[in-house]
Amino acid sequence: MLKKILSVATIGILVASAYFFTEKQAMATEVELYKNPQCGCCENYADYLRKNGFTVKVNPTHELVAMSKSAGIPEDFQGCHLAMIDGYFVSGHVPVDTVNKLLTEKPDIKGITLPGMPAGSPGMGGPKNGPFEIYQIGNGQPSIYTTE
Amino acid sequence: MSKQKISAYSRRKILTTSAGLAVSAALPNFGWASTGSSPTDIRLVAAAGKRKLDPAFPEASSILTFNGSIPGPEIRIPQGSNLTVTVDNQLSEATTVHWHGVRTPNAMDGVPYLTQKPILPQSSHTYKFKAIDAGTYWYHPHMRSYEQVGRGLYGSLIIEEKNPIRVDRDVTWMLDDWRLEKTGEIQDNFGNKHDMSHNGRIGNFVTINGKRLDKFPVQKGERLRLRLINAANARIFALDFQGHSPVVIAMDGQPIEPHKPDGGLVILGPAMRIDLILDLQQENGSNHGIIDRSYKGLEYQLTSLDYATRPLRNHKPDWGIKLPSNNLPEPDIQNAKRHEVLFHGGMMGGMILRNMGIKSTKPASMMGMMHSKNIWYINGVAAEGSIMDPMLKLDINRSHILQMTNATAWHHPIHLHGHSFKVLTRNGKPTKYQEWQDTVIMAPKETVEIAFVADNPGDWMFHCHILEHAASGMMGVIRVA
Repeated sequence: MLKKILSVATIGILVASAYFFTEKQAMATEVELYKNPQCGCCENYADYLRKNGFTVKVNPTHELVAMSKSAGIPEDFQGCHLAMIDGYFVSGHVPVDTVNKLLTEKPDIKGITLPGMPAGSPGMGGPKNGPFEIYQIGNGQPSIYTTE
Repeated sequence: MSKQKISAYSRRKILTTSAGLAVSAALPNFGWASTGSSPTDIRLVAAAGKRKLDPAFPEASSILTFNGSIPGPEIRIPQGSNLTVTVDNQLSEATTVHWHGVRTPNAMDGVPYLTQKPILPQSSHTYKFKAIDAGTYWYHPHMRSYEQVGRGLYGSLIIEEKNPIRVDRDVTWMLDDWRLEKTGEIQDNFGNKHDMSHNGRIGNFVTINGKRLDKFPVQKGERLRLRLINAANARIFALDFQGHSPVVIAMDGQPIEPHKPDGGLVILGPAMRIDLILDLQQENGSNHGIIDRSYKGLEYQLTSLDYATRPLRNHKPDWGIKLPSNNLPEPDIQNAKRHEVLFHGGMMGGMILRNMGIKSTKPASMMGMMHSKNIWYINGVAAEGSIMDPMLKLDINRSHILQMTNATAWHHPIHLHGHSFKVLTRNGKPTKYQEWQDTVIMAPKETVEIAFVADNPGDWMFHCHILEHAASGMMGVIRVA
């Protein structure tokens, strides 16, 4: 009997958490950020997103190469970490204006990427040496999504 | 993955491997003491194979092996032996074998183009050298090593002391780290730019002597000499022996004042070795995990020390644990010649240089770096292909101090061939144990001073042993002449 009560309670919790998760997803501020465990700049980027109203969960992983590959990002276009937001991926140090543009416009793509770790980008510090070229990744070749 | 041993003490003439290959060893009839040397003849066959790294995997992994096993055969010889090893290359690509940490003559060092011609497929090459230093060493290819070593081409080389310390068991653990698909096959993304520019190829499946080892049976009262060898491309281990107090007695083969490691963690960068004395003093029938705490948030249990229900003995052994010195030439610090070495580049490298106030024109830009394999630099130079021009020329038979600064955001285990060096200081503070090493791990922004007598003539490699870093620039040549 006790067992039965417990399992019912467990299901209740699972349902509640699933509901909670869906609710948050709809708000589009929940970010799952996957990063190299030793990378400091990715933590800075997580803080930058938090300051801009996102809720960020940071997940250290050694699997970024495989994850970027399965996301469809060619090797030369990979950012150093991978953030999952509202069904899209955001790879690298993409400025928040572009992230918001993506979440507002909801284009039919898989995600966007700022390759490398350009100086001056959010979380990186240093002087900005030129415009950031942010690429969109869909089913075809990567193409420029926006420049800022 | 049977672990074989080739021992000069054993009288077996032929060891048959699981793949049906034969290892021949011409074995001595005399001990070290009576002859002063023991000629030992060994054959290593490098070949591709398929093997499940864990029985639970649906697919076999595409591996490379010496003599059909991972690790290759353990070569055990007495100090002072003359070792002869013929390497037979049955791979589809060229290879070489480097005797990591062993002070061999230059021509025996196994570096393609620099010290020998590559061993082409279907050909062989013979290495001969005297095993002058006792200790824990290993062998591995020095050609496209990020894939050849990464797929399993390596083995241990144990050079035994004339009068070894007393232990109940002398155990070698070659630690390795594999990046596997869910099927068990090895992910075929060796040498990609993410790994090269960050912290190398870190995997998702860790093995001890080529297999997952969930339990390691022990008995209360037992004393182990545990020889740890980090054969991983890039993974650093920081081992917490729960409920136990391992004592470090040697690093990189060379004896050290026996001590408990800082914070109880046994830290091994790639290519490093640590010999431990492990006294098993927990309760009969108990289990104690060995936890790897190297990467925050990604801790896992490497294996478990599982106690038998009955003890081996009821008291802790009181036998001596200090190893005899190999009598390495002592550097003359007062009159040593100083050299500065700056490591830079990699992801976030520009930021670190700015933070440290170091001016450098290399790399020109992060994007430029991402589109070539010139990612890491030593003193402004990223090595390309097989480098030959020395970055440093050291006067022979003179003491030298290298002041090395890691101006990068990442750890680097820096390996010098042909010599063991004394680690004098870290960030200006003398090291407690003045350890001898051949591979010294440097933390981001750390400065380490090493000293040695340059007594082994030739052109020697000097490189990061995160194999992806070595392949993307972090390599140089030091000439001793």
